[in-house]
Amino acid sequence: MQNQMNHIPNPSRRSFFDSVGSGLFAAALSQILGRDLYGSEDPPSGHARRRVHDLKPKPTHHTPRATSVIHLFMNGGPSQMDLFDPKPELDRRHGEDYFDKIAGEVENPTAAGALMRCPYKFAKHGECGMDVSDVMPHLAGCVDDIALIRSMYTVNLTHEPALYKIHSGRQFSGGPSLGAWITYGLGTENQNLPAYVVLDDPLGLPINGVQNWQPGFLPPVYQGTRFRATGSPVLNLKPDYEQPDEIQHLKQDLISRLDRVHLKQRPGNPQLDARIAGYELAARMQLAAGDALDLSQETAATQESYGLNDKTTESYGRRCLIARRLVERGVRFVQLFINAQIFDNHTGLENGLKGACARTDRPIAALLKDLKQRGLLDTTLVVWGGEFGRLPIAQLPADKNPKNAGRDHNKNAMCTWLAGGGIKGGTILGTTDDLGFAAAENRISVQDWHATILHQLGLHHEELFINHAGLRERLTGVFEARVVDEILA
Amino acid sequence: MHSFRHTSNETSHPRRGGLLIFVSVLSIVAVIAVRPARCEESPTVAAPKNRAQATSDVSYEPTVQQIVKAKCLKCHNQRNQKAELDLSSSKGILKGSESGEILDRQTPADGLLWEMVSEGLMPPDDEAPLTAEELASIKKWIFGGAKFKESAGTHPSLTQHDVLPVLYLRCTVCHGNRRREAGLDLRTKAAMLAGGKSGPAIVPGEPDQSLILKRIHAGEMPPRRKLVSVSVKPMTDAELKTLTEWIAAGAPEVSDQSPAADSAIDDEDRRFWAFQPPKKHAAPPIKDSQQTINFIDAFVLARLQAQGLTLSAPADRATLIRRASLDLTGLLPEPEEIEQFVNDTDPHAYEKLIDRLLASRHYGERWARHWLDVAGYSDSEGVQNTDKLRPHAFRYRDYVIRAFNADKPYDRFLLEQIAGDELADYESAQQITQEISDNLAATGFLRFAVDGTFSNITNFVPDRLEVVADEIDVLTSSIMGLTVKCARCHSHKFDPIPQRDYYRLAAVFKGAYDEHDWLSPERKAGAPGSTDRYLPHVPSAERDVWEKNEQRITKQVAALNQKQTATQRQLTDKHLNERLLKLPEVLRADLREMLAVPEKNRTPVQKYLAEKFEKQLRITPDELKKLDPDYQKLSDEHDKQVKALEAQRKPEPLIRALWDRGEPSPTYLLRRGDYRNPGPLVAPGVPAVLNGGTSRIDIDPPWPDAKKSGRRLAFARWLVRREHPLTARVMVNRIWRHHFGQGIVTTLGNFGKTGTPPTHPQLLDRLAVEFMDCGWSIKDMHRLMVLSATYRQQSHVTAEHQQHDADNRWLSRMPLRRMDAEVVRDTLLQIARRLDPAYLGPPGKVTSRADGLITSEHSEQGYRRSIYVLQRRRQIPTILENFDLPQMDPNCIERTESVVAPQALLLMNNALVHDLSRHFARRVHKQAGDDPQQQIEWAYRIALGRTPAEQELQAAEESLKQLTEAWNRATEKQDKNRADVPPIRALESFCHALMNSAAFVYID
Repeated sequence: MQNQMNHIPNPSRRSFFDSVGSGLFAAALSQILGRDLYGSEDPPSGHARRRVHDLKPKPTHHTPRATSVIHLFMNGGPSQMDLFDPKPELDRRHGEDYFDKIAGEVENPTAAGALMRCPYKFAKHGECGMDVSDVMPHLAGCVDDIALIRSMYTVNLTHEPALYKIHSGRQFSGGPSLGAWITYGLGTENQNLPAYVVLDDPLGLPINGVQNWQPGFLPPVYQGTRFRATGSPVLNLKPDYEQPDEIQHLKQDLISRLDRVHLKQRPGNPQLDARIAGYELAARMQLAAGDALDLSQETAATQESYGLNDKTTESYGRRCLIARRLVERGVRFVQLFINAQIFDNHTGLENGLKGACARTDRPIAALLKDLKQRGLLDTTLVVWGGEFGRLPIAQLPADKNPKNAGRDHNKNAMCTWLAGGGIKGGTILGTTDDLGFAAAENRISVQDWHATILHQLGLHHEELFINHAGLRERLTGVFEARVVDEILA
Repeated sequence: MHSFRHTSNETSHPRRGGLLIFVSVLSIVAVIAVRPARCEESPTVAAPKNRAQATSDVSYEPTVQQIVKAKCLKCHNQRNQKAELDLSSSKGILKGSESGEILDRQTPADGLLWEMVSEGLMPPDDEAPLTAEELASIKKWIFGGAKFKESAGTHPSLTQHDVLPVLYLRCTVCHGNRRREAGLDLRTKAAMLAGGKSGPAIVPGEPDQSLILKRIHAGEMPPRRKLVSVSVKPMTDAELKTLTEWIAAGAPEVSDQSPAADSAIDDEDRRFWAFQPPKKHAAPPIKDSQQTINFIDAFVLARLQAQGLTLSAPADRATLIRRASLDLTGLLPEPEEIEQFVNDTDPHAYEKLIDRLLASRHYGERWARHWLDVAGYSDSEGVQNTDKLRPHAFRYRDYVIRAFNADKPYDRFLLEQIAGDELADYESAQQITQEISDNLAATGFLRFAVDGTFSNITNFVPDRLEVVADEIDVLTSSIMGLTVKCARCHSHKFDPIPQRDYYRLAAVFKGAYDEHDWLSPERKAGAPGSTDRYLPHVPSAERDVWEKNEQRITKQVAALNQKQTATQRQLTDKHLNERLLKLPEVLRADLREMLAVPEKNRTPVQKYLAEKFEKQLRITPDELKKLDPDYQKLSDEHDKQVKALEAQRKPEPLIRALWDRGEPSPTYLLRRGDYRNPGPLVAPGVPAVLNGGTSRIDIDPPWPDAKKSGRRLAFARWLVRREHPLTARVMVNRIWRHHFGQGIVTTLGNFGKTGTPPTHPQLLDRLAVEFMDCGWSIKDMHRLMVLSATYRQQSHVTAEHQQHDADNRWLSRMPLRRMDAEVVRDTLLQIARRLDPAYLGPPGKVTSRADGLITSEHSEQGYRRSIYVLQRRRQIPTILENFDLPQMDPNCIERTESVVAPQALLLMNNALVHDLSRHFARRVHKQAGDDPQQQIEWAYRIALGRTPAEQELQAAEESLKQLTEAWNRATEKQDKNRADVPPIRALESFCHALMNSAAFVYID
């Protein structure tokens, strides 16, 4: 198992941040603390050894192009034909009945209406001439840095299974998420912060809740850790009861003393070392997490650029900015969620989708520019997309008024883009049919998308596996997958 | 040579050394599904394929035929069709394997046959390989169009078995067993000919005349707008073509002879250790045998001595009682119990202790949890965001707890869980006894998979098949210790489990799990069990109590209503009279009469009167309230009383059960696991490798005239036969794992070739045989293991151990172990005296805080034991989740053990743990008074079951002093007069630290 081999840590630009928790503990940390977990697994033959699963940096399968990922997940299924994939044929046939042709692919047949054109205007942007509709004016200024895939598709048109698919490669809960696989394969560069951080929306959890960042059958050390944008960033990070700081320190001292006596009497039990280390990490994380989340360290201009002074963009902007600060500190995988499903525009698409973009467009563009300006975009892979796309026919509201129409789910076509981390900016890959119903040329599956992300990080999707219940489990499972090399620099 | 991968994209990626696992195939499988099962994919628009032109005209005979005969027919002959492949005739070659066609006429290089031979995957390693010349001949033939001289029957003719799976998939939900729209049943040819209201559905030989095709072509069937409501998709073009061709060919039928023959399993396959029945090995002779107590020790010691090791010294009694109590009951021994045991001079003191622990009802609460893991127990459906609750699931949990406490023989335990509905005729029972009810509650075992089929949009056939697959996985991984699930898409690559045997198992369960006749996991209107999975057969006594309560409430509510109606009528009348008095007298009688007659029965005169006067005369109940403040009061009081009564109603007691419905649809092998790609018909059966080479078992109805197939009962009986090589072994190994930290076979769910071989094979066998000999008594197995000298060893790791037995695979000591999630929570509650002693019953509620913290709620009695806390997939209490309570996927064969920072954060900072530390301190103070040393000793006794060591006492005393001073400073300003506050606060802080100590959560 290559990814389990011993490694020699490479000094990196980020090693500066490693030293945040330096001092006496640092040595103990890299040796012990990182090894957070003892799991067992079954090799194909021979006796199973208890294996130490840790977060220390691991060697890659090949030279990586990216060392961190920021995943901008757009809950709900953004409409491809209203954002990135203009369809003149759809404009022309607006109002034509089409339901019977796609009956098996419609979740709500009773609400199905006729073909519906895009309510927005498209224009070509950047040197590459990428089509972007006028609800994403800021991103339109970054198109030469992103690679757009217009021909992605998925396998289920219901939110829950589709979310599981995009996040874990399987349609059911219980599979490790993309971030868990990546931290399992690569470890992380900053042992004072979690390897995999989730920035969910203070307004609420996405569909499937915390299962979106579950470790599944991977050891729990690879689970995503939620950072809250305000207040205490991590669950239980600070005492949930009144108590002077001095008391807390005395208790920590006592625990440490008692545990060292306990350990001394029980040599040869590495989990006891790990436990002491766990308590020390817990104490240090409080500092490191607080520092990473302290946005007052940013200039007014930076805060402004992310839209922190605007009510509409403040929340998402804050998370985008935190994402940059985390990546800067060597966090491996950062995932941003939005409350509810603002891209799930079943009704009132014209205003709804516009509103969803208004919340996210400016912060995302600011993030791309900021990363680029700091030289972080070269090694940070930024990924944007939802769980599926939408239908070319209208979905009518209860009053059947086409003005308030939206679009129903569609698993056959969706748009996604990638930027930074060895991605060829300005690429436009794939096509859909004339109406935008299904991906046509260069069809890209979810597992292709997964394989590509892993590839940029120096991992091969077939070599990143764990033995679980008699199977070699992989993110891409038993499905055929290819690295989408058309979009690579 | 054999690639482990499922994928075959060598063209895009060079083969990587680290990936290939070279396995001696030992005639395991002949042709495997090299291409992935894209079963979940349904690309609507397929990429165009390049058409290869046949370049020359080379036929199969005689050259290639001879090669195939020499190199392939050993396994792929007509009788012994490995992977469903018969290469002995052109017909067989064209028919293909379990993975579908093996020749690709459009892109020859993509054909499975070429892929297998060109990549050296076939013939397998232990057979003579193809020579370069032979390979060249085959290539020439395949790329030359793969032609046969012998052309008779080159295209297999269609039969009803090509058509029926399509009709089941697209039509029979409305035209079949449960519903027969327009009188039409499409499940057999005869029924199609009989037709429905509009005439015969098919006219053999006349597709144009066949009504079924007309309706489909017209886009009328299946009805487009109703598709989702019955979870059906329209017929694909390919399916329609098959149906049309079958009708055109005269709708040929083959007689329903026994479907697919036995799978090809040979003696060599069966020779593997785990497929041989266990033998009763004698204990090996031992040097220095005074260390041994029973045969376990002899086997263990013999192996240790071979390594130059010996058993460690016995642990002291305080350690032993803590270890055994936590192991057997999941709770700590109380200080008095420890004292009593430590000072017990009876030579059988330890045996007495074990008997006492096994007799405790806490034993069942602890060991049932291990079983709930393998069953995948959950109180919610999963899948959708709502994470719907399963309000009746707890009956299964209670059944398991009671079964463990009663030491229900394991064979009976399995019979009930797999086929409880076929053990006794519950439907015609006069009285539902506890036993009959238990039989049904036990079948909940196979109802715990993640299941979204309560909603139409996640209730299509593939969604249902996922549920079935998960249940087969639960059953086979937990009880049979095999990775049977691999054979869903292709024959198992390492174990002799052909794909056909997988579908035989699916057929066993079809009477209850039929993807074409599905019961909703959600309680539906109508009688329980008619369209949902609930049965009302709880014990009659319990049901009577419920019914009586319902009747009482209904009666009392009716009485209240009656009284209220009378009052209302009386008052209405009174006010009406007052109104009438204001009208001319002549009209009054007529108006009164009009008001008494319902609107539609009124005469024209009455209608006229109504139009004119009804509005001003009619007094509605709401109006009456306004008119009459006294009535308003009365009415409010009445509503309150009714509401209070209604609140006393209890939910109907129901069992979430699994039962045979009597008419399973036929089972077809699904090529590559794809429901749209049915293969041969299969009959119910068992994996042949475990059954002397044949899949057949005798299946009879469970009782005369039973409306049940008896399939699962036959299967369960087969499973608990003494000769079964796995059932006893897998269970004793699991019991062993929980006592000793790891299994004799460390892969608890995989006894196959990719599992780990047993460390002590003879011991495993002996235990399995003893298990059956003692009547499958689980408690007897505990006694055997826990009383052994091996179990009583201390856990100290020596330098010698580290050198010769670092992993402790030879058991040179007892392993140091961390408490399981439930044990952490339960013992924290226990030492704080906040553990609710309630036994069984509906689950305790949980709440989520906005930041994601999930906690269990408590009552006046305290917090319920963890096993009784609601197991909702999306709402696992944070403390349990942090300490590795698993996500059920679909079950958990063995938990992982993590040591992560969030555990420390939780124990340090969580409000509940802090609150418990204060309760704990109060308890200590009550015992020890104000003396710090006494306090420390008592805290140690309660939490750790021992007195502190010198260094510990010193550290604790110093800390208590510092804590008292610190609390003094902190409380100075607020509580000047309360000199007793700081020492109490200090004790609380000390107790909190002790709850956080490694000594608490680790078990020696």
